[in-house]
Amino acid sequence: MTAAFDPADRADLDVSGLPTTVFGPRDIMWWGVLGFMTIEGMTLVVAVASYFYLWRQPGTWPPEHTLLPSLGWPTVHVVFLVASNLVMMRVSRVAHRLDLAALRRWMLVATACSIVMVPLRWLDFLALNVRWDTNAYGSIAWLTVGLHGTLLVTNTAEMLVFTTILHLRPTERHFTDAADSAFYWYYMTLVWVPLYVMVYWGPRFL
Amino acid sequence: MTTALLALQWSGRHSALDPFGPQAGRVHSLWQFLWIVAALVLLAVVVTLLLATFRRRGEAPEEAGPRTRSAVATAVAGTVAVLLVFLGVNFATGRAVTLPPDDALLLRITGHQWWWEVTYPARPPGNQVTTANEIHVPVGVPVVAELQSSDVIHSFWPANLVGKRDLIPGETASIWFRADSAGVYRAQCAEFCGHGHAKMALLVIAEPHESFDAWLVRQRDSARTPADSLARRGQEVFLASSCVMCHSVRGTPAGSRIGPDLTHLASRRSLAAGSIPNTRGHLAGWILDPQRIKPGARMPANALSPPDLEALLAYLESLR
Amino acid sequence: MRAVSPSEITRADDRELHETLERVWGDRPGLVGWITTTDHKRIALRYIVTTFVFFLLGGLNAGLMRLQLSRPENDFLGPDAYNQVFTVHGMTMMFLFAVPMMLALGLYFVPLMVGARNVAYPRLNAFGYWVFLIGCLLLYTGFLTNTGPDAGWFSYVPLAGPGFSPGKRSDIWAQTVTFTEVSGLIAAVEIIATVFKHRAPGMSLNRMPLFVWAMLVTAFMTIYSMPWVASASLFLASDRLVGTHFFNPAEGGDALLWQHLFWFFGHPEVYIIFIPATGLVSQLVSGFTRRPVYGYPVMVLANIMQGFLAFGLWVHHMFATTVPQLGSSFFTATSAMIAIPAGIQIFCWLATIWHGKPQFRAAFLFVLGFIVVFVTGGLSGVMISSVPFDTQVHDSYFIVAHFHYVLLGALFPFFGAVYYWFPKLTGRMLSERLGYWHFGLFFVGVNVTFFPMHFLGLAGMPRRVYTYIAETGWGNLNLLASAGAVLIVGSVAVLLVNFFRALRRGDRAPDNPWRAETLEWATASPPPSYSFLHIPVVEGRSPLWERSERRPVVTGLSTEVRDTLVTTLVDALPDSRHYDPRPSAAPLYAALALGITFITLIFTPWGLPIGGAVFFLGMVRWAWPTLRSYREQLRYEEGKA
Ligand code: HEA
Ligand code: HEA
Ligand code: HEC
Ligand code: CUA
Ligand SMILES: [Cu+2]
Repeated sequence: MTAAFDPADRADLDVSGLPTTVFGPRDIMWWGVLGFMTIEGMTLVVAVASYFYLWRQPGTWPPEHTLLPSLGWPTVHVVFLVASNLVMMRVSRVAHRLDLAALRRWMLVATACSIVMVPLRWLDFLALNVRWDTNAYGSIAWLTVGLHGTLLVTNTAEMLVFTTILHLRPTERHFTDAADSAFYWYYMTLVWVPLYVMVYWGPRFL
Repeated sequence: MTTALLALQWSGRHSALDPFGPQAGRVHSLWQFLWIVAALVLLAVVVTLLLATFRRRGEAPEEAGPRTRSAVATAVAGTVAVLLVFLGVNFATGRAVTLPPDDALLLRITGHQWWWEVTYPARPPGNQVTTANEIHVPVGVPVVAELQSSDVIHSFWPANLVGKRDLIPGETASIWFRADSAGVYRAQCAEFCGHGHAKMALLVIAEPHESFDAWLVRQRDSARTPADSLARRGQEVFLASSCVMCHSVRGTPAGSRIGPDLTHLASRRSLAAGSIPNTRGHLAGWILDPQRIKPGARMPANALSPPDLEALLAYLESLR
Repeated sequence: MRAVSPSEITRADDRELHETLERVWGDRPGLVGWITTTDHKRIALRYIVTTFVFFLLGGLNAGLMRLQLSRPENDFLGPDAYNQVFTVHGMTMMFLFAVPMMLALGLYFVPLMVGARNVAYPRLNAFGYWVFLIGCLLLYTGFLTNTGPDAGWFSYVPLAGPGFSPGKRSDIWAQTVTFTEVSGLIAAVEIIATVFKHRAPGMSLNRMPLFVWAMLVTAFMTIYSMPWVASASLFLASDRLVGTHFFNPAEGGDALLWQHLFWFFGHPEVYIIFIPATGLVSQLVSGFTRRPVYGYPVMVLANIMQGFLAFGLWVHHMFATTVPQLGSSFFTATSAMIAIPAGIQIFCWLATIWHGKPQFRAAFLFVLGFIVVFVTGGLSGVMISSVPFDTQVHDSYFIVAHFHYVLLGALFPFFGAVYYWFPKLTGRMLSERLGYWHFGLFFVGVNVTFFPMHFLGLAGMPRRVYTYIAETGWGNLNLLASAGAVLIVGSVAVLLVNFFRALRRGDRAPDNPWRAETLEWATASPPPSYSFLHIPVVEGRSPLWERSERRPVVTGLSTEVRDTLVTTLVDALPDSRHYDPRPSAAPLYAALALGITFITLIFTPWGLPIGGAVFFLGMVRWAWPTLRSYREQLRYEEGKA
């Protein structure tokens, strides 16, 4: 709507008419979220790189006398995580509609989902069937699951705080933030699926 | 002059600038090439800089034109050309210095904080030679050294013979070199390895074939019980005190591998991995208080009564 | 014509605007304001002062080393002290000075150069500084209590691992790195978002000043490289704290993994120092030749090319290890390739000087010095990228010579920038005469100190040795190097004198003492809290040289709250407005919480839950809107404010 603006135009530029609530790349905060996704993403890349580097060391993978990871709970968890994105899509949709009542409802559901996933992540650890201090294989497996675990936990904390504020002191800003947290949730899912395959299926094929 | 020679006797040469082996030689000529090219490039840049800064200027500012563009383009092209030549020369040198030799003499060097354990494998194993902080090699014969570490990363660097190679725990590296003239060459540990890093050197002694073989044979023997009584008392002191917990003297009950093998200690030129010349005085100083000579060394001080020390020194000096 | 700088106010409504903006953007007076400020200028200035102090301390360490090495068998420092000194020197100069100093200059000048009133995330910015400060204090608390890291600035395992570094020294290394990398990453995100979304209307990407481009590339490199060392130090810390085996060959770990992880960060790191320096050189060259830098597009491309290539060089630090020969020669090629963009930059600057009118100010002398010193270091860099040659000089003083030439090469533009920007930062001019002395001593000192080191290295002197026997014959050159260091210290002392003199009785600085081209010169010196009275509309690549008589500006931003303009990424067309939160102490609390977390982690794994809980409280405090700001924001969104 300011496309009409032409830098060469010599008149002063009145911006009072510009919107104050925008979504996605038009919004400043979205870039911050993207920035931190990239950083966290890089740490996960390091984990993957190290995983394969250590796998290439002499010796079997997993080392002998080390059980394969179990698939039960981790698979339940990954399925649940993927499914929970339906909730976040709703969150994002109602946020774009600036529908406060609906957003409050759906954020509650989302918070519940993310709380459920914390104990699930603990089960992911147990399913590794190896201790972090048994051997390098155990160390890197725990580290990978743990790194992503910190995303889950911090995300849960944020959801709690955010949902509370949303109920007590809502502003339009929160629609954008909600949309961003949905964006972040998609990202968390997107990175976990390959990590899940690597950690829980990898040892079966590598 | 003679003092300098004597110094070389125990400290050894250590410089990439006077090569005594094929690889060090190739790298030295590579260095001369690199440094001439670099000097020319730097000169060109500086001259241009001075011209650009101080040249006479007309009143009317003249804009950068097509001549500027072609000048910059040429400079970039020149850069690319120089780099291509550099890569070519570098590749050639690389090929030349890494060619693995056949019929090489094999020896094993194991890095410890902060000394070098050396073994010459042999058939039968009984003939294997174990020593420390000093290797002997025949002049003109290629030598392959297998490098391992028992603790942290060290690096083997006989600068006059060949570039360095790291000793990495959990891996076996290998390096080959050839000494083309007799002499004492120093191999300083080049990878930071803690307190003793500065005082962790190994002497490479290149000698004619006959004397090398003689040395190897002598090193195979185990220590024989000393003839004179003082030294015999020294042996008792040695076996009675803590020494045996860390050192081995083949042919005696002392068989620990924690510290350097002392079987032929007296035949070595330096003590404590090239830190001090192997003289009676230094030896006494070392035994009484190693920390003063080499802070951090993994050998405790020893309070010995003067007579005991006398005897011990006599014994150790009998270990030729 | 509307004013952009308070110093050129002519109209009554502008004067009034100045007062209201001061009220909205200014900080509360006194300590409260000092703690709660989110003004990028105050925070960046803090960064600059802090990093400079640590530069002095790092230099002091260097002085100690040069004293110890000035003659053979010297017993001034024993190995235990020396190892801490050289490690802390390296860490200080890299993690506490060079990198944060460059990012700090970015945090101060990027917003000004793109015509923004603040960085994108002001509170996060404050948080970043506090975290950085905690890191600095941690390192020096350790150092002064004889617990300074002592395994080298790249802290190789297994030496730094649980087996061979008992005590807490290596843990201090790991956590210092964590703190500084966190703050570095934050600064990078700030810079990227500010450059992408807060540019003044009309400053399309192809009109950004070269320094802004350099900082943008640097910020991206930071984001892609620092997580590697952060993770590596996490691995190391957990090996030491909870018995993991990442680097333990006995249990399937690997010592070389550390070197790959570290250098995949470590090489880009040195370009994170160098690329901003090239940006500085570009500003200085155009500022003191009164010419836009020749070949703008290739200069931008050169920075980008360096940014990419920097991630393909790391193995050239590992040529003496067991990495396969074939692999190595690949890294020789990439290392040689990176000489091309560097060359392009040098040649374009030369062309600019050639066609320009050099002004022989101190700042410009530092540009000349930079070209000589950096090219020397760059050339030795190309030499050591040759595998056979490097196997001789690796870990010798030749390397020490190389990297001081390039790093101090990057220090020349920094000193140039000090003379260039000091007036903007403080409103005072530095003395040119002292500037000449500073330059002269520094230039001579650097060469006398570091040139001999090439030959020491070739003559077999390994680095990181606390002493050497006389028989090596290294004594004289070392004495010479130490003498040079005295000159360098002298030059820095002159600079300090210049500072104090200028602050006490230096001439007042006008808005644009150098008649330079970029927007930071369009406002007062020092800039007011709100930076620009009106956000200027940019009409060309050199905004202040290509201003039409009309001088169009932005109007219609709210004057009751911190209202900022958000523009489109490529063309910088006005797109939306963004409400900036008020100043707050929350960032400080959050930083303290993070500090508690990582520092307790040095001693017990329980630091994680404990610190996590504290940190959570900090975040709540941060996110929770006070009733005041809540009301304010509502009114803003209704368009009433
Ligand atoms: C500002 C920091 C900086 C910069 C810019 C550079 C630039 C370069 N560095 Fe340097 N380097 C370091 C900081 C830096 N380095 C540090 C700190 C270390 C040591 C880390 C440690 O071990 O503690 C190191 C170590 C280091 C090594 C490892 C040595 C070893 O440990 O054995 C190598 C090996 O290849 C190397 C290569 C290079 C190369 C090829 C460049 C190139 O980018 C240089 C390119 C520039 C030029 C070439 C000059 C300008 C070009 C022209 C004028 C055109 C004409 C040129 C030609 C025709 C060649 N560097
Ligand atoms: C930007 C980076 C940077 C800078 C600027 C410097 C600056 C200097 N460095 Fe440093 N150096 C490194 C980065 C840097 N160094 C790194 C990364 C290492 C590797 C570490 C490792 O191996 O792990 C290293 C290692 C290193 C060594 C090798 C140590 C060893 O291997 O044993 C030496 C030896 O001479 C040295 C010397 C110097 C000197 C003399 C200066 C001089 O330029 C310093 C100039 C002096 C000052 C700037 C101080 C001025 C002080 C005053 C004026 C007094 C007032 C002060 C107060 C009131 C506090 N440095
Ligand atoms: C706790 C172990 C330990 C004990 C006990 C010990 N040493 Fe050592 N010794 C070492 C180590 C380790 C070194 C290598 C030190 C170095 O060079 O860093 C060494 C080095 C030496 C050397 C120098 C060898 C060489 O080739 O450089 C001599 C000689 C020596 N010890 C003699 C003795 C004598 C005699 C005693 C007893 C009075 C003794 N040591 C007790 C561990 C020990
Ligand atoms: Cu062994 Cu340095
Ligand atoms: Cu590098």
